[in-house]
Amino acid sequence: MNPPTPSRIWPLLGGLAAAVTLQAALAAGGTAFTKRMETKLLAEPTPLAAVSAKVGYAKSLKVEETQGAWLRVREGENAGWVFSGNVSPVEIKEATGSAGLGLNASATTVTAAARGLSEEAADYAQRHKLTNARDDLAWLLEQSSAVTAEELEAFLQEKKLGEFK
Amino acid sequence: MNARLVLLSVLALSLATAGHALDFGGLSKGLDMLNKAKAAKSTLDDANKMVSGIGPEEERALGETVALEIIGKFGGLVRDEETMHRVNLVGHALARYSARPDHAWRFGVLNSDTVNAFSAPDGYVFITRGLYQTATDDDRLAAILGHEISHITGRHALRIIETGEKSSVLMKHVSSRSGDVRQVDAYLNQVGLNTEKIVKFLVEKGFDHPTEFAADQNGRDLAAVTGYAPNGLRTVLEDLQARKGDAQAVFSTHPPLAERIKRLPGGR
Repeated sequence: MNPPTPSRIWPLLGGLAAAVTLQAALAAGGTAFTKRMETKLLAEPTPLAAVSAKVGYAKSLKVEETQGAWLRVREGENAGWVFSGNVSPVEIKEATGSAGLGLNASATTVTAAARGLSEEAADYAQRHKLTNARDDLAWLLEQSSAVTAEELEAFLQEKKLGEFK
Repeated sequence: MNARLVLLSVLALSLATAGHALDFGGLSKGLDMLNKAKAAKSTLDDANKMVSGIGPEEERALGETVALEIIGKFGGLVRDEETMHRVNLVGHALARYSARPDHAWRFGVLNSDTVNAFSAPDGYVFITRGLYQTATDDDRLAAILGHEISHITGRHALRIIETGEKSSVLMKHVSSRSGDVRQVDAYLNQVGLNTEKIVKFLVEKGFDHPTEFAADQNGRDLAAVTGYAPNGLRTVLEDLQARKGDAQAVFSTHPPLAERIKRLPGGR
């Protein structure tokens, strides 16, 4: 086998470094960050365990112990187990725009799928002769929001996905 | 006119007016000048703040218009509820473990024979019928959707605009009501990148290769943490490579298949 050329080595090393950094963040002694409006910390490292604490958006969690894909974390008084896929290894930064609102302030995005197509987009479609696309987009919003949180939870359990693995 | 020039003109006009007020004397006029200078500075401060990023309201407006353009360009949506249900269940499962789990995500299939997938800001993921037909199991589908979700959570499309924005500090001045698409459109015209240009970029040119490889890697990680096969993307790309020679363009807005496969971890 030929030795890898430098152009092949660098992306490999870069990828390796990134993987090591992410792993270190979610290992004992590292820091994880919450990414949901509310993250539940559980009494046991199993998905249906009792909730011992709830933590808000973009908080730092100290990782104290790991068990497979589960992390035992602490944020001040709040402590418990969390599935690693429910937290971020990188800091969550809020983007704010001209209205000065970040994602946290506009938590309404959760319900945004149910609100349908905006008047502005409908107007844009009219002006750009995209009325068929407008009807399709309205249908897409309706269909996408038809997937409820309960249905998704049942799907994850049935297919053994995420924390139900 | 260059956006920076517009801002400088606004500032110059404010200061010139203030100076004129001073010429005609009086304490109140002096205060007026001070207030106008303050207002001009505030415009600059506000505009500087805008460089920090595109907020949720601007992203929503952009997402909807870009989604409209993509749907319009690729034959509309496949209006099959069973297909929609499968794509949205797998898509939402992935999105739940993404960097934006609480966001409103939408997944749709475009009625086109081409083999490609697209994302629009604010959580819109599209896969063409041609590519969907190759997603014969959920591992394959998750690999494709995971890649596109990563473009959105990585703000890749917004970065194109934000990069343009660095040459302009006029956003607030042009668009005080950011949710208004027409005003956002006006703002985008100012920085020389309107919605159509972004769409052209997304559906014709595609992101640069490092951005695509990053989305491959992040998408693979997302599929894995969600519980789908980590080698799903490799399988999809190898399937497509095996049938290469088909007349249809395959992933035309993405790097060559062999390049993408080479950069993926080998383990199955």
